[in-house]
Amino acid sequence: MSEEAESGTMEGKPVVLVEGLHKRFGATHVLKGIDLAVEKSQVVCVIGPSGSGKSTLLRCMAFLDRYDEGRVFIENRLLGYRETDGELTRDSERNIDSVRSVIGMVFQHYNLWPHMTALGNVTEALRVVRKLGRREAEHIGMEMLGKVGLNDKAHDHPARLSGGQQQRTAIARALAIRPHVMFFDEPTSALDPELVGEVLQVMQELASEGMTMVVVTHEMGFAAHVADEVVFMDDGEVVERGSPDDIFKRPRSDRLREFLDTWRSRAI
Amino acid sequence: MSFDIDIVFRYGPLLLSGLWTTVYVCALASLLAVAAGLAAALLYGLPFRAVKLLCRAYIEIMRGTPILILLFILYYGGPSAGLTLEAETVGIVGLGFYGGGYFAEIFRAGFQSIPPGQIEAARMLGIPRPAIVARIQIPQMLTLIIPPSTNQVIILTKESALLSIITVAELTKNTTQMVNETFAVVEPYVAVALLYWLIIEGIALAGGALERRFSRAS
Ligand SMILES: Nc1ncnc2c1ncn2[C@@H]1O[C@H](COP(=O)(O)OP(=O)(O)O)[C@@H](O)[C@H]1O
Ligand SMILES: [Mg+2]
Repeated sequence: MSEEAESGTMEGKPVVLVEGLHKRFGATHVLKGIDLAVEKSQVVCVIGPSGSGKSTLLRCMAFLDRYDEGRVFIENRLLGYRETDGELTRDSERNIDSVRSVIGMVFQHYNLWPHMTALGNVTEALRVVRKLGRREAEHIGMEMLGKVGLNDKAHDHPARLSGGQQQRTAIARALAIRPHVMFFDEPTSALDPELVGEVLQVMQELASEGMTMVVVTHEMGFAAHVADEVVFMDDGEVVERGSPDDIFKRPRSDRLREFLDTWRSRAI
Repeated sequence: MSFDIDIVFRYGPLLLSGLWTTVYVCALASLLAVAAGLAAALLYGLPFRAVKLLCRAYIEIMRGTPILILLFILYYGGPSAGLTLEAETVGIVGLGFYGGGYFAEIFRAGFQSIPPGQIEAARMLGIPRPAIVARIQIPQMLTLIIPPSTNQVIILTKESALLSIITVAELTKNTTQMVNETFAVVEPYVAVALLYWLIIEGIALAGGALERRFSRAS
């Protein structure tokens, strides 16, 4: 893994590279040395029991939580810290913003801004960060809302949208800045069952267009069909990783078998 | 007992000049109070313990000290610390920072009412902190903070009567002068009470209008 990092100029360098990541909340050791590489256009699904550290991993990969040890590289740039002689010091807000500007993040609870319309949510970063004029921003915004099938809801506020529509708006908002990689943290877990499909469909389309994606999910069907690699986490560690077939049909560890059994019995 | 309206008219210019002083001193002090309160609330939210403590100290001192004592310290104690300010300036600065202690708490409650996930979403999009405050946090907390803010400006305006003690020629000071010169008591104090009531009613109306405007928007 570290050899890949050093020869980072070569073709096929990972878009996201996580090395030996540790995270503690006080005395709780939440991430215990995570390694992960996500290549361009790859879809990596992270599964695992609740409390295993999936959200924390994703948040550290976006530096919404600071990690304690290890490295996160986004397109070969160290995220969150500056490294001098092996010592990590916290990077400036500006550099952090710059490194993570290629990440689009979608949260479990959408986190839309309720005082703005769907279109306002999608265009906010275009206007404030990219400093586009209203017309141009709204043109792009409508294009993004079209992508997630919400053209007709552009002028509605989030409170008037269903959960599925809100999450699709959140996806459009993240896409508006043209990210190179998308992080999803259980994007369908807060949705009523009948609304899950519309969000997964949008995500599947993104994947088929070649978007690089890291998806924390409990949707095993989605993982089985869309993922290039499935990572199974338990208790802050990656216990097993492999193709969907490996993970779902040929689990090697007891922990994964047990997890899948629990999940199957719950799904029936 | 009769009410001699003529005295009031004779002293009209003095009262109006006091009214004007009260209005602009309170307006400037309110602006300062909002700015200081917003700054303290924002600094309080930073992840630095020393800064947090400093903000806490500021808020506690402002809320725990009578405004008159703060004014005395500034006005009479200032010169010994090399700080000689005009009475009016002391009034604006004193009332402003005093009110800031209360506005800090109003803004802090406002900021706390916004789910942190909304801020994280904004940070992930690279939206700079000032824009997050101005475009995402403050617009959403307006309906929450306008009523207590209106109240705070009203309190500040009433407290401004104390500036008469440090010789600011505001409404109360000029009224006292009128009492001293005419030996009338009822007319001056009834007149001044009416004038204060007018100012306060104006503030309340403005606050109510703002509240309606922003509750319709959200
Ligand atoms: N901000 C936090 N402070 C303290 N503990 C936390 C915090 N966030 C998560 N944890 C703990 O870290 C562990 C992993 O949580 P999380 O990453 O949310 O798991 P998952 O997403 O897999 O359900 C849990 O034990 C949780 O209680
Ligand atoms: Mg989680």
